[in-house]
Amino acid sequence: MASLPKIPEYKAEWAEGEAGRWGIAIDMDLCTGCQACVAACSMENNVPFVGEHDAGYGRQMAWIRVERLWEGEYPEVKATPFQPVMCQQCGAAPCEAVCPVFATVHSQAEQINLQVYNRCVGTRYCANNCPYVARVFNWADYSNYPEPLANQFNPDVTVRRRGVMEKCTFCIQRIHKATDQAKAEGREVRDGEVQPACAQACPADAIVFGRLDDPESKVSKLSKDKRAIKLLEDLGTQPRVTYLKGGYHGNLG
Amino acid sequence: MAISASALPHAHAEEHHAHDHEAELRREHLMLDPKPRGELNAMVMESMTSTSWKFWVVAGILAVIVAVALFGAWGYMISEGLYLSGKNRPGYWSLFLVHTVFWVGISHAGTFVSALLRVFKVEFRRPFTRAAELMTTFALAQAGIQIFAHMGRVWLAYWMFPIPNQRQLWVNFQSPLMWDFLAINTYLLASTMYLFLPLIPDLAMARDRSTGWRKSVYRILALGFRGTEAEWTHLRIALNIFAFAILPVMFSVHTIVSWDFAVAMRPGWSSTIFGPYFVIGALQSGVAAVGMVVIVIRYTMKHMDYFIRKEHFDAIGKLMLVISMGWAYFFFNDYMIQWYGGDSFTDALLHFHEAGPGGWIWFMMLITNVAIPWLVLWNKAWRRNPVLLFSVGLLINVGMWAERYIIVPVSLQINRMPFLWGQDFRPGIEVPIFIGTVAFFVLLYMLASRFLPLVPVWEVQEGQMAHSIRRYGKEPVVSVAELE
Amino acid sequence: MTEKNLLLAIFEDIDPAARAVDKLRELGVTDEHVTVISGTPITEAMLGRKPQWSNVTRFALGGAFVGLCVGIFLAYGTPQLYPIVVNARWIGVPPTIVVMFELTMLLMLISTFLGVFLDSRFPNYTPTEYVPEISDGRIALLIECAGELERAVESAMHAIGAESVKRAQAEAL
Repeated sequence: MASLPKIPEYKAEWAEGEAGRWGIAIDMDLCTGCQACVAACSMENNVPFVGEHDAGYGRQMAWIRVERLWEGEYPEVKATPFQPVMCQQCGAAPCEAVCPVFATVHSQAEQINLQVYNRCVGTRYCANNCPYVARVFNWADYSNYPEPLANQFNPDVTVRRRGVMEKCTFCIQRIHKATDQAKAEGREVRDGEVQPACAQACPADAIVFGRLDDPESKVSKLSKDKRAIKLLEDLGTQPRVTYLKGGYHGNLG
Repeated sequence: MAISASALPHAHAEEHHAHDHEAELRREHLMLDPKPRGELNAMVMESMTSTSWKFWVVAGILAVIVAVALFGAWGYMISEGLYLSGKNRPGYWSLFLVHTVFWVGISHAGTFVSALLRVFKVEFRRPFTRAAELMTTFALAQAGIQIFAHMGRVWLAYWMFPIPNQRQLWVNFQSPLMWDFLAINTYLLASTMYLFLPLIPDLAMARDRSTGWRKSVYRILALGFRGTEAEWTHLRIALNIFAFAILPVMFSVHTIVSWDFAVAMRPGWSSTIFGPYFVIGALQSGVAAVGMVVIVIRYTMKHMDYFIRKEHFDAIGKLMLVISMGWAYFFFNDYMIQWYGGDSFTDALLHFHEAGPGGWIWFMMLITNVAIPWLVLWNKAWRRNPVLLFSVGLLINVGMWAERYIIVPVSLQINRMPFLWGQDFRPGIEVPIFIGTVAFFVLLYMLASRFLPLVPVWEVQEGQMAHSIRRYGKEPVVSVAELE
Repeated sequence: MTEKNLLLAIFEDIDPAARAVDKLRELGVTDEHVTVISGTPITEAMLGRKPQWSNVTRFALGGAFVGLCVGIFLAYGTPQLYPIVVNARWIGVPPTIVVMFELTMLLMLISTFLGVFLDSRFPNYTPTEYVPEISDGRIALLIECAGELERAVESAMHAIGAESVKRAQAEAL
């Protein structure tokens, strides 16, 4: 019998933040809504472009989106701040339990939520059960780019075919690269050594990535900031993404 | 075994009124209008073998529809991808799941009629238990097609089987879809066996009076059944076990189907009453469908006017009325709690149900599921009118389709991230595939009616032996003996 | 009792058949040498015979037990063998109950079904003693009697009102 991982009996036994290893803090007061993170993420993770028609029908596949809503009745409207939303890598993820074939599981090493493309049979239950609507589905073989466009694919990341679910991975390929490097040099990963594509591309440095289990890291400190909130925290999903919001932006959001 | 079919002797002329009443009773009730077994057998055999050319024309058209609309369209979708369907984000599930629930619902009728009514020894069930059981099996086959069509990578569907593999991966028994898979498989196997067991004596009957290829097929299917005491005993015990055991399976199937929705973290879905609400909804659509099928076979098959009578329309109509009341009760219960809770997302969803672009479907659901059955089925003469009963059955099924439509794609448009609320929902290739499954269901049923005795002759004869008319004072009353 | 003969007496109604069973006992043909074949179910009590032995219930219970064990193994055992963490919790009792229930019912019903096959020796395509009139509602008594009794049985059956009494012949069904 394989050795059992340590799993608490009840969800409530999970201490807040304890299980988190990697996390993101997003400062909405800094975000300009420039969508650079969306573009960078798509290029890094081989996220296909679905074309105008399918995009218009709600089949965009970007793993990160920049949300912005209007509040109030026209013309007395006020914009909410820009809010980039990706998979929150929940500690207790609702999407994982409902997959019949274990295609989405919790990784022991990185403490993030994995999507196993090979295992996915496409029931799409995980997407329905994700309160953040963070998951996207390959409705068609969107990645069939003609040559030479196929050369743009990142060799570190697989290309997904139709019928499988996918979502933000916190750029796990970069996490692995950095941890392997650190291991080879016999040290811990330094704060700031790993950056997912979205954080790297953000011109305002609104997205900060790092280790949550290191109290000295920048992301840990930001997560404990008094401006920090988490999305739909009351659902008990224990998201690993923290949003910082404090300042008032006037009519411009 | 002879059946004393003669009327009771009447000594006095003043009993004329009672005599009329007795003749009326015999006209009304199949169980009181016995015929010798040989004649019953001949009627059932003839109903299977007298096929007009119209039958084959209809069957041919249906076969073409099945080939093109079901397998053609589905095959095209498998090779092209699910973008041909109307799904998007946030409507990850849509009509395929609606139709799965729809067909699973229809399938509940057979078990309801033949198991629940058998357990409670409801006598009017006898001539149409098999007609209802056939519906269960064929409707579940359609549900299976719909659920496979729903999958993104259907060619890997066998990964849902709980079999060990070299990746040391089993399946996730925490997933409601896994429970669904087990429950629907259990139900399909159980209902097929439950269809076959009481069929064996009738297959033996057909074997004894057929020739040619029919004889050789019936001979194999009848398994060498002769009707010895021992064989009857084993069969009776097994049927008893099945009738009792298949009922909780039936309840579990639709409860688990409802859990696909109810356990999810979604406004509108996360409802504790979904289990019984779905079960009653399934019975609502299923019993209505039994009514439709019974009417169709009575008016299209030879000799069926003897076996299926107005009393059966009447009884099915009453069931439809009672179940419709039950459905309304559960619907209101579900609605009331969600409305009172005041959660902002649930409020938005309820508003979207009623006033969104599909609002008319929500109102249509209430009209066809509640208003029309209540307005029509209270009246005995209307219940016994086949056209009216068929129409109500059809409308109830439209209403139940609408209920599932409201629950799946419409409710999916509202989630906890208002940025991704949807409005845009178009049906795609699901429509031909659904039409294809309807045609496939009817086609399977038609072909089965040419080959399987649709009336369980031995059960009808058993019932006729158990019934007699006796006098209570001057009044002729029906009495039923318990023969089992 | 060297020679054994099989006689097939066919009755149109249940009352003469019941009388025939009694008469046969008087003649010394015991119940185990008489097989009743009918087109509708006839209980043993109707003919005053001993209840039939059936193993179907035992098969059902055995199947239910096996199903219960398989269900517990699948739902509770396989996650222990191949631990995979989902939703920050271990497989709990409620999902196990669902799986247990379904597999208990499934195996119980399958074994009930197979129990009928085993108990009735289905399928059996070898030629047997049978006449097609039975499925027309006749009741047949298949009487196994010694050669010297044959005449007496035959006449007794005729006296009670048998439609026909003849040597039973094994025919292909």
